[in-house]
Amino acid sequence: MMLLKLAYRNLWRNKRRTYITIASVLFAVFFAVILRSMQLGVYELMIENVVGYYSGYVQVHKKGYWDEQTIDNVIYYSDSLSVEIESRGEVQHVLPRLEGFVLAATQELTKGSIVNGIDPTKEGGMLQLQEKLSDGKVFELNDRSVMLGEGLAEYFRLSTGDTIVMLGQGYHGISARGKYPVAGIVKLNSPLLNDNLIFMPLPEAQWFYGAEGMVTSYVLDMNYNDNVPKFTRSLEAQMDTSKYELMAWQEMMPELVQAIQADSAGGQIMLFILYMVITFGMFGTVLMMTAERHYEFGVLISIGMKRWQLAITVLYETIMISLIGVASGLIAALPIVLYFHNNPLDLGGRTAETVEDYGFEAVMPASLDPSISITHATIILVISIIITIYPMIVLSRLKPVKAMHV
Amino acid sequence: MLLKIAWRNIWRKKLRSAVVITSIVLGIWAGLFVIALSAGVNQQRKVSVIENSISHVQYHDPKFLEDRNAKWVIEDIDEVRSSIETDTTVLNYTMRGLVNGMASSARGGNGVIINGVDPEMEPNVTTIDDHVVEGTWLPPEGRYPVYLGQALAEKMNVHVRSKIVLTFQDRNSEIVAGAFRVAGIFKTVSKKYDEMNVFVRLDDLEHLLHTENGVNEVAVLLENFEVIPPFVERQRSKFEELEIEPWNEISPELGYVDEMMEIFLYLFLGILLAALSFGIVNTMLMAVLERKRELGMLMSVGMNKARIFAMITFETIAIAIAGGPLGIVLAWLTIVYFQSVGLDLSFYAQGLEEFGIDPIVYPYLDVQYYWTLALMVIVMAILASIYPARKALKMNPAEAVRAI
Repeated sequence: MMLLKLAYRNLWRNKRRTYITIASVLFAVFFAVILRSMQLGVYELMIENVVGYYSGYVQVHKKGYWDEQTIDNVIYYSDSLSVEIESRGEVQHVLPRLEGFVLAATQELTKGSIVNGIDPTKEGGMLQLQEKLSDGKVFELNDRSVMLGEGLAEYFRLSTGDTIVMLGQGYHGISARGKYPVAGIVKLNSPLLNDNLIFMPLPEAQWFYGAEGMVTSYVLDMNYNDNVPKFTRSLEAQMDTSKYELMAWQEMMPELVQAIQADSAGGQIMLFILYMVITFGMFGTVLMMTAERHYEFGVLISIGMKRWQLAITVLYETIMISLIGVASGLIAALPIVLYFHNNPLDLGGRTAETVEDYGFEAVMPASLDPSISITHATIILVISIIITIYPMIVLSRLKPVKAMHV
Repeated sequence: MLLKIAWRNIWRKKLRSAVVITSIVLGIWAGLFVIALSAGVNQQRKVSVIENSISHVQYHDPKFLEDRNAKWVIEDIDEVRSSIETDTTVLNYTMRGLVNGMASSARGGNGVIINGVDPEMEPNVTTIDDHVVEGTWLPPEGRYPVYLGQALAEKMNVHVRSKIVLTFQDRNSEIVAGAFRVAGIFKTVSKKYDEMNVFVRLDDLEHLLHTENGVNEVAVLLENFEVIPPFVERQRSKFEELEIEPWNEISPELGYVDEMMEIFLYLFLGILLAALSFGIVNTMLMAVLERKRELGMLMSVGMNKARIFAMITFETIAIAIAGGPLGIVLAWLTIVYFQSVGLDLSFYAQGLEEFGIDPIVYPYLDVQYYWTLALMVIVMAILASIYPARKALKMNPAEAVRAI
């Protein structure tokens, strides 16, 4: 306690130096946290757009479906299985889906599109069709109509009430053909889906594909924050894996995971360089402080202060500087992170087009993940402890008589 | 004289100066290298898009650009052809028919863009025929060959000599289908492109579409980037009813990503230099304060304030100049080295391919960056010297001499 007090007083002996060091730590933490929050926020949004609102974090299929995604790899929808999965606390709903591919056409235009047979009553929490509706209404489970992604509707220049023709290949090679009125148009977050997706009520889709009572996947409606990989493994243990395959989103979309990793690596390299520079700055300060206090150290040791006590005092000083720097850096970054979390940065014009070309929403929200602040605070603290090794070495070698002989 | 004193002053405390200089060297070296890496990735992406798909200049019917319906063909294709052939700046050109359709195999169907091309002209303009991984590029003979991407082939579970059916709408909006045999499978750096594009012969496509002229797109490769704007001007005045666009209008995001990247990189450099300047300010401030006595003495014996100020500024700049060029030269050497051997990022390959980037990256940095950075370092040094130098000026000589 004595040493802590001593360290604290030492800090304010040379205010200016302390302030500058604090400022450099503040600066590093401030930029690291903001850059990282933005980056991770974009990834969270990407995952949510591509996974959270559409494919779900976990899916169950017939074994082998994922490698061979055809309408022939369907399974009978079983209520008992879905009740069994729903009994797990993490899963809110089990959503049956029948996904296939068609050539959609109007009089003038054609386009290959994805058809997804869904149960609109159950999809509320997942697809959020009602919220995303830009025209018309959501169909009922027993309707014979479809809903289109806004981009697809624009391509075909269709609006509510118009008719779309669909041609495809059904279960066991039967030919699937149908003509459907458009009940509603939805604006989907992922441009890739927005431009290609047709929703159909599940029973109608089963009829269209000649696959009565069957589905291609059970989509598990759950939260990203639940530990998805752990949950997947534990659920897998209680299912018949010779019949079903159970996949977490990371397995279904390795490209997304890797794209995020590749992009994230770039950001981490830049932060690494920033930290390297800051480390040198902090080291420079400690170096000077040590040299400047040579005389003082000599005196203190001569009058009986133990070397380890002095070493700890110096360590306390460095940690205090870092802590103040980290805390003020976090405080300075917080309002900015909060602001961009609530008002994501809207990328305008051509940047937005580019981002949407890659299939992502063109906004940049900041992530509020507390692990960002914790990580960067820890990094700085570790750096400061490593730096303190230098004065420790000096102290251990210090010869009091020589040191006082300036 | 002052410069000499400043230089000697730096080396009075060797370790301290060495630490600051090292941090400048490392910061600049690493910073420039990362920038070169990003710029290299971007450059490669740009070249690959131009080489693989969009070329330098494209001709379309304006209505085709609106809805990409195959019926909007280039009507006076013969005149366009002869005009391109007589232009001396043209290296090569090719003509394509484009239709949206569905490719199906026993496994199901997928939405694709059907590219009807001339198998002899296309390889002169794009490198698509070089990317073959199995089989061959479209042969000029034989019945209905198709050349498709590996990602699509895997999805449809087809191999060379497998049959696939392409379904699309013809000129009269009737649905037509044709059975094609897989001649070859290709793999470019973009998985998305491979999944979306199939190539067939233009005359086969025209046959199925029941038309004589099915050209929706003419792509032209010119001698170099400089001759593009005048060429576009000449052609535009000749074919006013056509939309003739250079690469940066066809794909504005390519040019735009360049600009964005530049802004972002300068921002990063700025942050880096600001972080460096903290170390420099701190060091210089210490240097001034511990030399209180000496500075006071200098002032007492008649060195004026301007000179003191200049001396401190020179010292700071000298530190930056000792570190800056070394960092820049190291960065230049590293960049040149990796430019020739390439940096293998295949650990992240799949993720990069998603963005259409080759996993072997060749860092690349425009010369102007080195100069800009050198200038930025000097500006930073001058800014960083102001505070310590002012501190030195504020000292009262009489008091300063008495300080320990």
